[in-house]
Amino acid sequence: MKYSFYIGCLIPAMEPGYESITRKVLPSLGLELEDIKGANCCAPFSIQSLDYYGWLVLAARNICLAEKMGHDMLAICDDCFESFTAANELLKKDKEARDKVNALLSDIGEEFKGLIEVKHVLEVLHEDIDLIKMNLRNPLDKLRVAAHPGCHLVRPKAIHQRIRLGFDVMDDLVTAIGAKAIDYPQKDMCCGGPLRGVNDEISRRISREKLKALKAAGVDCVATVCPFCFRQLDLGQVEVKRYFKEDYSLPVTHYMELLGKAIGLKFTESELADHKVPVERILG
Amino acid sequence: MSEVQSQEKRDKVSPVVQGFMNEVASSPRGEGILYCYQCGRCSGGCPVSRIVSKHNPRRLMEKIILGFKDEVLSTDLPWYCLSCFTCVDRCPQGADVGEVMFAIRNIAVSQGNVPKGLVEQARNLLSSGQVVPLTHLAIEKRRKLGLPKIEFAPPEVVQNLLKKTRLGKLA
Repeated sequence: MKYSFYIGCLIPAMEPGYESITRKVLPSLGLELEDIKGANCCAPFSIQSLDYYGWLVLAARNICLAEKMGHDMLAICDDCFESFTAANELLKKDKEARDKVNALLSDIGEEFKGLIEVKHVLEVLHEDIDLIKMNLRNPLDKLRVAAHPGCHLVRPKAIHQRIRLGFDVMDDLVTAIGAKAIDYPQKDMCCGGPLRGVNDEISRRISREKLKALKAAGVDCVATVCPFCFRQLDLGQVEVKRYFKEDYSLPVTHYMELLGKAIGLKFTESELADHKVPVERILG
Repeated sequence: MSEVQSQEKRDKVSPVVQGFMNEVASSPRGEGILYCYQCGRCSGGCPVSRIVSKHNPRRLMEKIILGFKDEVLSTDLPWYCLSCFTCVDRCPQGADVGEVMFAIRNIAVSQGNVPKGLVEQARNLLSSGQVVPLTHLAIEKRRKLGLPKIEFAPPEVVQNLLKKTRLGKLA
């Protein structure tokens, strides 16, 4: 199965390790990635807050590029996924919005045609969960994992209705690699990331609450599927230690890393260099 | 806006603007305001509300319904929203509080009220085409990892695309 791969801007700039691991793991499961060349910003929630049509044209241009490639779009970030899914669904249904957006897109010679779907990597992996089971060389027995799917993957339900996305999906994928998916009360709670740069104080108080709940769940590590959540919960622990004098020392992983280990990949030091909280005992 | 200014503004009686609710309802993403019956389930689930009690989604919806346009659009409260959509899932009426928040922020921006941090994001976007620019250090890290060279859209294409939108005129 081939996908138009959308990498976003946060991952290439700040989490190249996650990118590197993704580029190895997915092809070894038979998922081919063709990079969208010349992509622009996805227009995440912060940009959506500034302007409605600004959001739609930015998202739509990337969808147009994927349409021309002829494959569904694959996102490995919750925020990119949310922006594209919401824009794609809206533009497919709302003719007035589509006409306005296409008028703006025509200035750069593009046209939204509504030909493809936008998928998050978690969804794609879950659709073919047997691929994981068939490639499982190193089941992560006894590893207690708390899944943090992130808000923009699982809400609002209405947007994601056509996709069977929910907390079960991520837990299924944790179980599929032999690990134990641990439930915890604040699983659906936001990481607080969106308030970065707007109100850092509230942002860190929310991540602290989330980290407290994760720690109380008694897990070996947290699994994320969004680079923004990852950063907030991993690098965020440094901040929580400084401001609240609380040391959680809770390893935060990308689900892709756990999956990589389970199918027998060995990571280089550079690939794990993005982590602030040491992960050697989980991924080494 | 500073804490002191916010408090002063809140203490002043805001004039009621008839039709503000309808203005919001006819703005993109604002339609849900018409369905709100003030049950408060949104505030009950809001993570920010737990930490900062003055950020109260139900109360913000109330102010829109009652027409306190000036207050709704000039305070920083709509910007404390995480866009986590917990409220949207909880609302029994489909009032889509989290969506109405986007409509309010869009209207606030059109009147020149934008948090500083977001003006910077908009500037990055217009000058580089990305919100998080690729630094020399990042390019070097990527090269060491053997990652492909990233080809982003030329900034001129993004500027051209946005020139007729409000976002394009922001930075």
